[in-house]
Amino acid sequence: MTGATAEPAGLGRRAVLGSSAAVGGLAVGSTLGWFGGQAGSPAAPVTPEAVIRQRYSPHELHQAGISTPTPAVTRLLSFRLRTPRVAAELTKLLRLWSGDIEALMAGAPIPGDTAPDMAQAGVSLSVTVGLGPRVFELPGLASRRPSGYVEVPAMAHDRLQDRWSGGDVLAIVAADDPTTVAYASRRLERDAATFATLAWVQGGSWRGTDSAGQPVTGRNLFGQLDGTANPSGADLEAVVWASGPAWFAGGTTLVVRRIELDLDFWDATTRERQEKVIGRRLDSGAPLTGSHERDDLDLTALDAAGRPLIALDAHARRAHPSVNGGRRILRRGLNYTHTEGGHRGVVPSAGLVFLSFQADLANQYLPLQTSLDQRDALHDWTATIGSAVFAIPPGFGPGDWLARGLFEP
Amino acid sequence: MKKSLVTLFTLLALAGCTGGIAAPMTSAGSTPSASAASPIIAEAAWVRATTGATNASMTGAFMSLVNPGETEIRLVGASTSVAPMVQIHEMVSVDGAMVMQEATGGVAIPVGGHLHLKPGSYHVMLMMLKAPLAVGDQVPLTLRFSDGSQLEVNAPVKAFVEEEDHYHSASPSPSMSPSSTGS
Repeated sequence: MTGATAEPAGLGRRAVLGSSAAVGGLAVGSTLGWFGGQAGSPAAPVTPEAVIRQRYSPHELHQAGISTPTPAVTRLLSFRLRTPRVAAELTKLLRLWSGDIEALMAGAPIPGDTAPDMAQAGVSLSVTVGLGPRVFELPGLASRRPSGYVEVPAMAHDRLQDRWSGGDVLAIVAADDPTTVAYASRRLERDAATFATLAWVQGGSWRGTDSAGQPVTGRNLFGQLDGTANPSGADLEAVVWASGPAWFAGGTTLVVRRIELDLDFWDATTRERQEKVIGRRLDSGAPLTGSHERDDLDLTALDAAGRPLIALDAHARRAHPSVNGGRRILRRGLNYTHTEGGHRGVVPSAGLVFLSFQADLANQYLPLQTSLDQRDALHDWTATIGSAVFAIPPGFGPGDWLARGLFEP
Repeated sequence: MKKSLVTLFTLLALAGCTGGIAAPMTSAGSTPSASAASPIIAEAAWVRATTGATNASMTGAFMSLVNPGETEIRLVGASTSVAPMVQIHEMVSVDGAMVMQEATGGVAIPVGGHLHLKPGSYHVMLMMLKAPLAVGDQVPLTLRFSDGSQLEVNAPVKAFVEEEDHYHSASPSPSMSPSSTGS
């Protein structure tokens, strides 16, 4: 994820605004000043960001937890609104959460915290909030739906289960350690309880550092480097961040896919075939036509027998922008293991919670996924068992609240 | 016992505590007065919900007040549009039981330190609430300090789960006067 996580404009803003945790005594001008700060921030050079012991602020143009590095632990909590036809119930929830998030990410107890001693700064905590499709069915909100924000139709290879799908409001809680994630998740659940019930909770782990603690592309449970081709710098800006409608400028859309991996079958597959399936070497992540992780694929290169070095159904070829009209996404992976017990015995499973961020879901993710659904050698080892989409609002100013512009344009 | 203590300390407050307020408060929600912006910073403010409570006429507001300056400042009063009567309360031990009473003379916010207003300790008591407060409502508070400054705080209403129910057990006495709230 090294290249993908550089956030050119964010570093300066973080330095300026990251320490603000006050929720009281807010001046009317504070929001204006915040937006003014965005426009005036000079772009910093693109540099890899450290992964662990970070401090993130919700008061950026973008919410944290998207282009920031993936820390060790992430949990997604999807809620269904108790009264999905009443906007005031959702806005109350978003206002409560905004205060909570401001405090949690600053390492401070939330208002009314019943476990205030759990709060700790410098644990790379981010909370990212998303809005499900039903939100835009609220009276008056249809016209403010982000462009291209649509549901993902079931793909031919999908094996979707309701228990991992859908939702009206999402919170993604990520941090360096599981205790922080459990604490922050619990606080958000408590404050949501009046307005929403849990639809599903899923999460996973990521190892985004090498043995020396330096940022590296993490590996999924197939052992593949995952995220090598992610956009960075100006590419990332163009791929991920939406420019409108006005309330959504700086926001993005998210597709959550729970992809079960058949690790037993993968174990029984030869290394040569494993590499051929993806089109990259397992050790370095380099394309089979290159020698370094970041080398671009040579999709025309042939072996001595005249066959493509990167197979026609190799995942890296099928997902490559050059065969998808230049379409790209920002992917963020979470490795999960899930064990269910019962009277018939213990049933283990494993996979990848796959997060795809893009400015325009219908014009970036959907064509890519449809193409991959038609042909991708990985299908023999994978099955998508959950799917959900969320609109991810931009960040919010100190004392302001998430997505306010959607409800109070 | 609690009721009588509240009454007693309300009367004491009327006698001795209101002298520090420089000017009568205008009603909440009006144009900000000419009083100075407060150096005090309020963090993590919240108000306990009253929906479902046996006595929905009163509740507590809680927060952390930070004094970054070099002079001790006291929280001496507060007002809100949701309740005509507001007092700064402290908890004291009487005959082995913790009861609340008005903090006469206000509560000091130490130099370079915090004052935690929290359940079971100092709090801002909102009495004779005009309507129940539900989780997610917003309560505008105006805090008044010993240096004559004021601070506007918007506090979200949150559920409260502490077992011992300090903030619903007393009802306002007819002898209580709202005049100490300044509203």
